[in-house]
Amino acid sequence: MSALRLTRTYHFSAGHRLASPALSDAENARVYGPCYRQHGHNYRVEVTLAGRLDPETGMAADLALLDAAVKRVILEPVDHHDLSGTVPALDGVITTGENLARAFWQWLEPALPPGSLTRVAVIETDNNAFEYRGETAR
Amino acid sequence: MNPGLLYVTRKFTFSAAHRYWRDEWSAEENARVFGPLTVTHGHNYVLDVTLRGSVDPLTGMVVDLGELKRVVGDAILARFDHADLSADPLFARRQIPTTENLVRAIWDLLVPTLGGERLHGLRLREDPTFHVEYFGP
Repeated sequence: MSALRLTRTYHFSAGHRLASPALSDAENARVYGPCYRQHGHNYRVEVTLAGRLDPETGMAADLALLDAAVKRVILEPVDHHDLSGTVPALDGVITTGENLARAFWQWLEPALPPGSLTRVAVIETDNNAFEYRGETAR
Repeated sequence: MNPGLLYVTRKFTFSAAHRYWRDEWSAEENARVFGPLTVTHGHNYVLDVTLRGSVDPLTGMVVDLGELKRVVGDAILARFDHADLSADPLFARRQIPTTENLVRAIWDLLVPTLGGERLHGLRLREDPTFHVEYFGP
């Protein structure tokens, strides 16, 4: 039975600002531009799972389990929070889309069947998307 | 955290005209092959540019999206937005400005600045019903 990929979309709303503690105010303003100011987004999170079709159920992943896991480990900790201030698990993390995608992967991966998580995408606005597929850069 | 490989996609839009026509063919032959596309018309193109790379630990970013905006703005939007693709030297009497040829031309225009290692893929949407993806030669 061939492997299938299933993608589910979630939403949360949160505040954040981009600032590096290693940079001065002026440098932060130059590097991050308007993102250095406190602001927020209606984030979209796409989670892709790979699985084999169960001939009895016709399903390749347990979406109820996925929904419950995403709600518990991602949405509840971040929805209507300030990612750059009120989320302890993000302390010290610059909350770029890149870092959020990797953080969400790390939170979610242990809560899912081993090897099933294939992709986490953080869509910050309609124009910007950040994807992590569990790969290590060279 | 490990040096993770991230994919960053930014969306751009431009509006351009084109027609499908081969000068060496008769009008009948052009009409037979290309149908209504022989008449100059236009599209609102949507271009997704995906870069890949590791996160700079200092900034938390793979790429400065402001820089990407400047690069795509200078190389692509300034050239193709509100332009006639069929008159562009890349296409006129050379190749038909199909979505396939256009996405390859955009790749060739971006790769000198962005680099083949960083540029991962392009998705060019001609209209809401049709898009072409290209991941390089």
